[in-house]
Amino acid sequence: MKTFASVDSKLSDIIVDEPAVVTVLNRFGIRLGVGDSNIAKICDCKNIDRDFFVAIINTYLHEDYFPERIMASFGAKEIINYLRMTNVYYERFQIPNIERHFHFLISKTDDGENNLALILTFFNEVKGELLKRIADDNSRWFPEVLALEHNTDGCATDTRVEQFDEGSDTIEDKIDDLINMFIIHLKGDFDNNLAYAVLTALVNLKKDIRQNNRIRNRILRPLAAALARQSES
Amino acid sequence: MTHHACILLTDVSLADRMHTLLLDVFDIDARIVGTVDEITATADKVDCIVVDSDHFVANVRFFLPRQSRTLVITSHRVAPDNGDLRTIAADADRTQIINALVYFFESGDEQASASGVLSQREVEVLRLIASGHINKEIADKLAISLNTVLTHRKNITAKLGIKSVSGLTFYAMMNGLVTPH
Repeated sequence: MKTFASVDSKLSDIIVDEPAVVTVLNRFGIRLGVGDSNIAKICDCKNIDRDFFVAIINTYLHEDYFPERIMASFGAKEIINYLRMTNVYYERFQIPNIERHFHFLISKTDDGENNLALILTFFNEVKGELLKRIADDNSRWFPEVLALEHNTDGCATDTRVEQFDEGSDTIEDKIDDLINMFIIHLKGDFDNNLAYAVLTALVNLKKDIRQNNRIRNRILRPLAAALARQSES
Repeated sequence: MTHHACILLTDVSLADRMHTLLLDVFDIDARIVGTVDEITATADKVDCIVVDSDHFVANVRFFLPRQSRTLVITSHRVAPDNGDLRTIAADADRTQIINALVYFFESGDEQASASGVLSQREVEVLRLIASGHINKEIADKLAISLNTVLTHRKNITAKLGIKSVSGLTFYAMMNGLVTPH
């Protein structure tokens, strides 16, 4: 079982234990070549809040870890900043990475009998939904929550807060379906190694979105609801 | 379940008898062919190939991967313990042939179900999901209860590993159950 990260943990040990955590580190501007420093030292160098960083890393590493209490000590601004960085990472790196692998797989496959083209169409639909959610975060949800935090939007209500973020579970379900299409339903002739590259990229995105949804739905959403109640009273 | 059958027998009269029997008893209009090449193009859709042992041996590379869908007519009865290969003696009487075919189709259906292929009813539900119908509409169209629809959906997801409506729709398209819009 993976150990919980603390400010005294060596970051290199955490990466060795779970290499996929690199995708989270990138959002904080931490790149590979971390040396043997502990989290406290690296966070101080990068001007990152140590406790927030540790809470995020543990949320990513441990499915059963619920950082509500720790996260509650941070403001909506810190959490939204992290979610913005996550969205940027999806848009600029993870989605293009899956697309690159997918197009390469199709370009190296000349068997007209396989069903890769249809699965790519399904992926494009999921991608469209994810990008739409990101656009909605940027144009509506995040600004509204920040406005509530600064108490500048006195007309906010619980109803508006409850409407936030509908559909995020659907994206998770669809990525699950995409993964199972690769594992169970691929047909015809194709390069197995290239298909594995797409599958790995999809699995990484799924894990990331699942952990991210926990922060969105179990931390930011209740925080936004509480801010809305304060704003009303 | 609808079956698609081909008959590849050197003995023309035996081929005619098998065709008549499949049509009369099982309502299957089998296609009588003269060579394996005539089956190849539609091999994935054919779930029953009646072939004599000479053609089987001559085209063993074609038949071996499809042995669970192949019924071999032999000049001598072979031992039943023969892996997935189903055989029937050429001199078997009508009742024996019917019994052998019933067993062949039943075990084939069980195998299909065990390997995760959907039942006919689940296919109907899947088609309606893929056509954009909600559970209540599916229940009305098939004259079944809402709970039964939910059970079918649960079973479909368990068999296919696909949960979302979009995912199920793409699966239906990939398998020719609905036409892509």
